[in-house]
Amino acid sequence: MPELLKEYLPVAIFMAVAAGIGLALMASAIIIAMRKPDPEKLSAYECGFAPFDDARMKFDIRFYLVSILFIIFDLEVAFLFPWAISLGDIGVYGFWSMIIFLAILTIGFIYEWRKGALEWD
Amino acid sequence: MYQAIVFLPLIGALIAGLAGTSLFRMMGREAEAFGHDTGHDHGHGEHGDAHEHHHQPPWPMYLTSALLIVTAVLSWVAFIGYLHDGGVQKFEILRWVGSGALSANWVLRIDTLTAVMLVVVTTVSALVHVYSIGYMGHDPHQARFFSYLSLFTFAMLMLVTSDNLLQLFFGWEGVGLASYLLIGFWYKRPSANAAAIKAFVVNRVGDFGFALGIFATFLIFGTIDFDPIFAGAAGQVGKTMDFLGYNVDVMTTICLLLFMGAMGKSAQFLLHTWLPDAMEGPTPVSALIHAATMVTAGVFLVARMSPLFETAPYASDFVIIIGAITAFFAATVGLVQNDIKRVIAYSTCSQLGYMFVALGVGAYGVGIFHLFTHAFFKALLFLGSGSVIHAMSDEQDMRKMGGLAPHIRITWVMMLIGTLALTGFPFTAGYFSKDAIIESSFASRAGPGAFAFWLLVIAAAFTAFYSWRLMLMTFHGRPRASAATMEHVHESPQVMLIPLYFLAAGALAAGFVFKDYFIGHDYDAFWRGSVVSTEIIEEMHHIPAWVIWSPTVAMVLGFLVAWLFYIRRPDLPATLAAQNEPLYRFLLNKWYFDELYDFIFVRPAFWLGRLFWKRGDGWAIDGFGPDGVSAWVVDITNRVVRLQTGYVYHYAFAMLIGVAALVTWFMFGGAH
Amino acid sequence: MWLLEQADAAAVLPEIILAVIAMVLLMVGVFRKGETANFVNLASLFGLAVVALLVIFGGSGRMTAFGGAFVVDTFARVMKVLILFGSAAAITLSVHFMKEQKIEKFEYPILILLATVGMMMMVSANDLISLYMGLELQSLALYVVAAIDRDNARSSEAGLKYFVLGALSSGMLLYGASLIYGFTGATGFPEIAAATAAGAGGLGVLFGIVFVIAGLAFKVSAVPFHMWTPDVYEGSPTPVTAFFSAAPKVAAMALLVRTVFAPFSGLVPDWQQILVFVSIASMVLGAFAAIGQTNIKRLLAYSSIGNMGYALVGLAAGTQEGVRGVIIYMMIYMIMTLGSFACVIAMARKGRQVEEISDLAGLARTDKMLAFVLAMLMFSLAGIPPLAGFFAKYFVFLAAIQANLVTLAVIGVVASVVGAYYYLRIVKIMYFDEPAPGFDPMHGEVRLIAVLAGAFSLVFVLIAQPLVNLAGAAAASLF
Repeated sequence: MPELLKEYLPVAIFMAVAAGIGLALMASAIIIAMRKPDPEKLSAYECGFAPFDDARMKFDIRFYLVSILFIIFDLEVAFLFPWAISLGDIGVYGFWSMIIFLAILTIGFIYEWRKGALEWD
Repeated sequence: MYQAIVFLPLIGALIAGLAGTSLFRMMGREAEAFGHDTGHDHGHGEHGDAHEHHHQPPWPMYLTSALLIVTAVLSWVAFIGYLHDGGVQKFEILRWVGSGALSANWVLRIDTLTAVMLVVVTTVSALVHVYSIGYMGHDPHQARFFSYLSLFTFAMLMLVTSDNLLQLFFGWEGVGLASYLLIGFWYKRPSANAAAIKAFVVNRVGDFGFALGIFATFLIFGTIDFDPIFAGAAGQVGKTMDFLGYNVDVMTTICLLLFMGAMGKSAQFLLHTWLPDAMEGPTPVSALIHAATMVTAGVFLVARMSPLFETAPYASDFVIIIGAITAFFAATVGLVQNDIKRVIAYSTCSQLGYMFVALGVGAYGVGIFHLFTHAFFKALLFLGSGSVIHAMSDEQDMRKMGGLAPHIRITWVMMLIGTLALTGFPFTAGYFSKDAIIESSFASRAGPGAFAFWLLVIAAAFTAFYSWRLMLMTFHGRPRASAATMEHVHESPQVMLIPLYFLAAGALAAGFVFKDYFIGHDYDAFWRGSVVSTEIIEEMHHIPAWVIWSPTVAMVLGFLVAWLFYIRRPDLPATLAAQNEPLYRFLLNKWYFDELYDFIFVRPAFWLGRLFWKRGDGWAIDGFGPDGVSAWVVDITNRVVRLQTGYVYHYAFAMLIGVAALVTWFMFGGAH
Repeated sequence: MWLLEQADAAAVLPEIILAVIAMVLLMVGVFRKGETANFVNLASLFGLAVVALLVIFGGSGRMTAFGGAFVVDTFARVMKVLILFGSAAAITLSVHFMKEQKIEKFEYPILILLATVGMMMMVSANDLISLYMGLELQSLALYVVAAIDRDNARSSEAGLKYFVLGALSSGMLLYGASLIYGFTGATGFPEIAAATAAGAGGLGVLFGIVFVIAGLAFKVSAVPFHMWTPDVYEGSPTPVTAFFSAAPKVAAMALLVRTVFAPFSGLVPDWQQILVFVSIASMVLGAFAAIGQTNIKRLLAYSSIGNMGYALVGLAAGTQEGVRGVIIYMMIYMIMTLGSFACVIAMARKGRQVEEISDLAGLARTDKMLAFVLAMLMFSLAGIPPLAGFFAKYFVFLAAIQANLVTLAVIGVVASVVGAYYYLRIVKIMYFDEPAPGFDPMHGEVRLIAVLAGAFSLVFVLIAQPLVNLAGAAAASLF
């Protein structure tokens, strides 16, 4: 068991440091910062909406379209990181596999572009 | 020739039977067209008639009648041959049943007994066919009627020509079927249907015994062919001597069982209730089936089985007792009935009792002789009464008749002849045959014989009374019918009268002409062992004179009383009935047999039936069977459909529950 | 080319070609001016035909690709041809329908092609990861196709429901897959089989199997994972429903067959219990719930739930005969259901689709041919000999009885008796009820599919032997 715990020691230290810094920053803000509260400042931030409101409100669908399209590419890019790191191991085969993947992604991108999904108006 | 006798009626029945179908309607049109083209000289008027009556072309009735006349002529030829030169002839038609030890071939067996029956059956049938041309001429379903009549005739011929018990049973059931169909011929009448069902059901009781008798015969003798049985029966008598009566029991049992079938078919006491109701059928049917032929099948059966009955004295005694009681009982009931056909029906019942007495005492020839003569005069009476009913515009109640003699003189003469023959007026047919039965019962001397003798003599007096009562109420005295009906009274057409002439001739002469063959000194030469010959035939010629005179005296007595009651003092019957109310009621209600049976059998049967129907079928089978299942299916369907709410979270919930159930199953219950 | 060799791409060539065709057509669709749908439709059909030929003639025996994650054997080939046929029929049925409903989009055939690629992938999946990939490719395409009539609330609802519940089922599948991986340490089917044979797993693997089967049962719409089916069938445009009830069912069933046999052939008694339960529930619910329906598409939805139950009877037997029964069943089922939906598509009055069963009243007097074809299909679905549906049921029940699952077979027969009621009711309504107004004349290709399906169900008895032999060979390739 100590063996096992020892391996987790850096994690524990890291968490302690993180907690310490976080607490220090918050405490300093409370202690040092100047305060001039107004309603806008006190309201919670919720990307463009009133945070507490009727759920059945109207909103512009384009927010979601954009965010969904963003998320797709965001996730696909996330694949590139492990690929880039292990490129040396997976060789040419691995390289071309990712290129094909990106090509397919590009076809999708062209389609949404041509369909006008990216235009706001 | 014999094949022709048996099968011509069947051919007629089939052709006429197809007449009801669409096949026929087409053919019928063609026949009519044919008639118009060529038959101007004879058929035009009839075609006009046919057009009026539902386009029924008349050819089926002519065809069947013609075939039956041919059959009757052939039968007479055969019979006359048998008068002097008999013996058993067999004609094999086909191998019928072969199953293990049981084999039954379809063989026409012709001997004297059969020849007599052939003559009776075909003659009466032919005459009834001809009579029906007139009687049923206006019925829209005449083709069906004639088809049934011919079918009946075929079945009856099958019965009398049978060479084994199975074949006999086939004919037996065939006539039962035809009887059922013909009683219910006017199927739109509820009473006709009820009567048909009653006849069928009551006959089933007898047939049950008969079938058991056949089984028992096969069990004991290992065969159901007549010849080996008869030979074996004689052997059984010998064994009886050796084994102190053990085998007598067997023979008695067989004979009683067979007699049970005979009781049903011949409407004997206890199983008689169907016969009066069977009068719901058309009158020619009553004459043919319920007077002359089918009801005598039981008599024929016992006569045919005479070698067996000779080995079973107790069974024979039973036959005597039942026959005597029937003769007496039916005669008493006949005294007070008011329906003209019912009177004759009870008379038939009574006369069948006479025949059985003769068979029981061992005078088989005498019984068959009475069967032979009775066929003529009873058919005559029925057809005569049919003529009366026809004249009275379908009125059957004698209380509404009276004074008809001057209007329908020929019918009156015919009925008079029939009545004389039935009551045993000297030198008519009944005189020879019925008196011979009474004499033979006296001659047997045994206890049952004496019992029978007295009952028969009393019954003879009653017979005379009710017969004359019928005549007097119908034809004499003041007319009691409405003036309108009386105006319409008319003599029947020739086609209905001619059969009456033939039957009248038979009623007058059959006894006189044939008595020597049937019961006289040519007895043995005539019968040639087709029925067992016993010494009683000899003994009945040596009896006291008072016995010979007793039936005649009884007849005169009956006539005088009837004359007194219905001509001299017409008020007397009512007074007497009022004075003896219970007795009168008792007789009028036929000894309350229908009520008794209704109470003992019918109601429990209905109760049981209703139990099975309501509880068994309606509640249990329908409830849990078809209806229950379908209701259950609909119920489940409704529940299942309600599961489909349309809410996604319900759907998701169902999926999770499903997974949870499966996981739980594997965690706690799974067999792995 | 070198790249393809690296991936053992001979086995996967049909899928690659189909995917390329789909992407090319997508580009053609967005770049081409004017009317594109017709061209894309035709090109898609052509592509499907080419790929089908490639599947049939592209080699025989067992081939693998991607390091064993993808396998092609006789079973896969038979199922792929069936799937391709089903997809082609779905496109064919849609051509005039979509035009008349004014929802014609060139994306529809492309989505079908992509779904088909996914389905072919599923059929060949020999690894938990390729399984999931194929399944999701197919599902994502289907979610969109279900909602293709996006201005129609019911179609959108159908798509959304299918998507939400599909996501849930994918989650279950993934959870099961991870359990299996966790307890056996492998994702490839042969490796899992080896690990379980070596004694790894226990209850954890069983839980994994439960979840995986639950996820797949959702795809074949087996009870209790069927709830989406009636709503989606009813809401989607009819050709889409026809497609849903045909090719994806075949693919999912094929995947289920391979998933229970390839990695878990040692655990037959265990997963048999799951399948028996699911099968009974499906047959019974399919039979009973269909009786209460008035909408013919909903009725056919329950019919396909019930039919999946029957097919699962064969699978539950856990024998080679059982698999043969499943293959025969899916073959016959797909053709009958396509024919039935072709008849439903023909139910249009003055250009408007009608879907009530009562609309079929007296069809025998207004359109003899359609009524006869539909009657034959209904008789066949009811399992009345000598029509195809009878043999379908015969082979699965036979397998169940041989595997001593007599109770299951008896319940199946009872359910099919109950089910016969609603099939025969349709026949009764068509032939004995007072005629409703007649339908618009059928389009040639719809009529063709209906008649072919009807003829197939009639003459199956004559051509049964080679098909049964083929199914037998396909089943044998799995063992």
